[in-house]
Amino acid sequence: MNLSQIVQDLGFLTPEILLTGLILLAIIYDLFLTKETSIRTGYLAIAGMAIVLFSLFAQNVEASQGLFNQMVAYDGYARYFKIIITLATILVMWMSFQNDELKNRTIGEYYQLMLVLVFGMFFLVSATNMLSIYLSLEIVSIMSYLLAGYLKENLRSNESAIKYVVFGGVSSGIMLYGISLIYGLTGSLNIYEIQASLAANAAISPALLMLAFVLVFVGFGYKIAAVPFHFWTPDVYEGAPATITAFLSVAPKAAGFAVLLRFLNTTLTLSGDPNNIALESLSNLDWPTLLAGVSAITMTVGNVVALQQTNIKRMLAYSSIAHAGYMLMGVVVMHHNGVSAILYYAGIYTLMNLGAFFVAIYIKNAFNTETISDYTGLGYKAPMIGIAMAVFMFSLTGLPPTGGFVAKFYLFRGLVGVGDTFIWLAIVGLINGVVSLYYYLRVLYFMYFKEMNFPDVYHRAPLQFNILIVIIIIPLLFGWMIGDPLSTWTASATSFFVP
Amino acid sequence: MADLIFWLFWGLTVASASIVAFSKNLIYAVFSLLGTFIGVAAMYIFLNADFVAVTQIVIYVGGILVLLIFGIMLTNRITQTVISESSFQKMFGLTVVFAVLIMVLIPVLGHTWTNGEPMAFQETIHQIGTLLFTDYILLFEVASILLLGALIGAATLARKER
Repeated sequence: MNLSQIVQDLGFLTPEILLTGLILLAIIYDLFLTKETSIRTGYLAIAGMAIVLFSLFAQNVEASQGLFNQMVAYDGYARYFKIIITLATILVMWMSFQNDELKNRTIGEYYQLMLVLVFGMFFLVSATNMLSIYLSLEIVSIMSYLLAGYLKENLRSNESAIKYVVFGGVSSGIMLYGISLIYGLTGSLNIYEIQASLAANAAISPALLMLAFVLVFVGFGYKIAAVPFHFWTPDVYEGAPATITAFLSVAPKAAGFAVLLRFLNTTLTLSGDPNNIALESLSNLDWPTLLAGVSAITMTVGNVVALQQTNIKRMLAYSSIAHAGYMLMGVVVMHHNGVSAILYYAGIYTLMNLGAFFVAIYIKNAFNTETISDYTGLGYKAPMIGIAMAVFMFSLTGLPPTGGFVAKFYLFRGLVGVGDTFIWLAIVGLINGVVSLYYYLRVLYFMYFKEMNFPDVYHRAPLQFNILIVIIIIPLLFGWMIGDPLSTWTASATSFFVP
Repeated sequence: MADLIFWLFWGLTVASASIVAFSKNLIYAVFSLLGTFIGVAAMYIFLNADFVAVTQIVIYVGGILVLLIFGIMLTNRITQTVISESSFQKMFGLTVVFAVLIMVLIPVLGHTWTNGEPMAFQETIHQIGTLLFTDYILLFEVASILLLGALIGAATLARKER
């Protein structure tokens, strides 16, 4: 790589460069602020993220590129996930202004760390080299630990941070061991060269390949909270600041799926070209069957344990595990339909899960409770909150006419469309959908049916919160009307860079 | 002769690592960590990775170990602290450990790993420096952002909330 090549490649990294500038600006600006005014760093961050969003939309991804000696890819797939992450960040920052947990404390670093986390995710979704995958995974992890423990005086927050560090450190160590095995087998860290080497050398024993794959999957599985790497999830989600919980449950999970899907569909396939309509796994490594098992266990464990939860944050934590299981269904089909279904699901899931968390945060602020049974009568006391929660719960369950239904429909269509191999997984998924109905609708049962009385004075949520919720609800309720979403707005998103 | 030295350092690494793991005395554990670090540095030298070996000594022995010792010296009553390392479900744990060991060892030992041609020793610092500022320049810069974030985070955690 010479200097002119570096300068040329930098031109494709405009959003990342803007983001870096924003991080530095936020740090310097924060120096001039006091504890009371430190919230202004947040305003700066949210305005900067809006600019980053524009620069992402301005990218022309028709010609995909490998940048910096194929360390990262510049393609529609990465851009799609970056847009989702940026949107989620803006929504979470907006909600953070209204989160009472974060009031009356120096808050500048909260936004700075969040920006660094976004920076890590930007590189994670576009990484095409094991080294850049690992490095960006570490950025995401370390920033997540710090944010989970941001409420220093809160014991639960401390507990969540330390558990997160211990689990995260172990799983990233295991992942490194897996990467070292792959490097030993192929002599390369570039995922395209690894693919070429693995596909050319069919003599490698399936047991060894499977071992290397499982070890690497520990790192990814921990990021997307797939069973059996999910043990950190409920405690971290319960102890972290609620807005960070909401953020962790959507953005790093989407980024984890992005890098997992790119790694699997590029490196562990025969053709090595994820743009193909149908793919075949390496002849001596049957990872789809393994992941189908992980998917079934993940959604079942998530749903069954969620049934017993009384705390809304823990309930949503287990439900997010279940959703990771649903999204894994799209990974195992190895078909274009599966990829686009995951992309669509990631977008819808981001909206509905953030929405549900935001309503829960608002209820915690206004009524000081996180226990689901305390929600009794809230649907009448605070109609706007009740309706919003109803939409999010219906959508998370996957009931029409919400976006959650359409997203789940595409996942199942992708799974059934490839023949009979994974019919059993589709059936497990359907049964799980029915199970999840119970605990999602239990929230609404307490809100509307436990006690029916109309109070004289309604609780009114502040305008800022109502606008935020409406912004999330509109695409969830009406987004599916604008034609087949897979062919329209995720079309460019399924184009991968291939050298 | 080289083989003998290799196995000597191998023994040093494993022995001191087991003291770290099994010692009930924190001071002993920290000091035997020194042996582990030096043993690993020796492994790097055997791999002709001179830069990594020196970095290992500078960062781990010179930085992390000293930090650990300072942490112990500046903490009150740490010598009386009872480290709870009592293990439970030993049989189950041992079974899992051996199962994992076998699952890792059999495939790894069963594969014929390709050995590179033995090379004469070349200093690596020059090559690493060139690569860091050409092929790996992006990751070099990304790592700097990671360090910046870690710095902010560490300061935030250590700061007294007023």
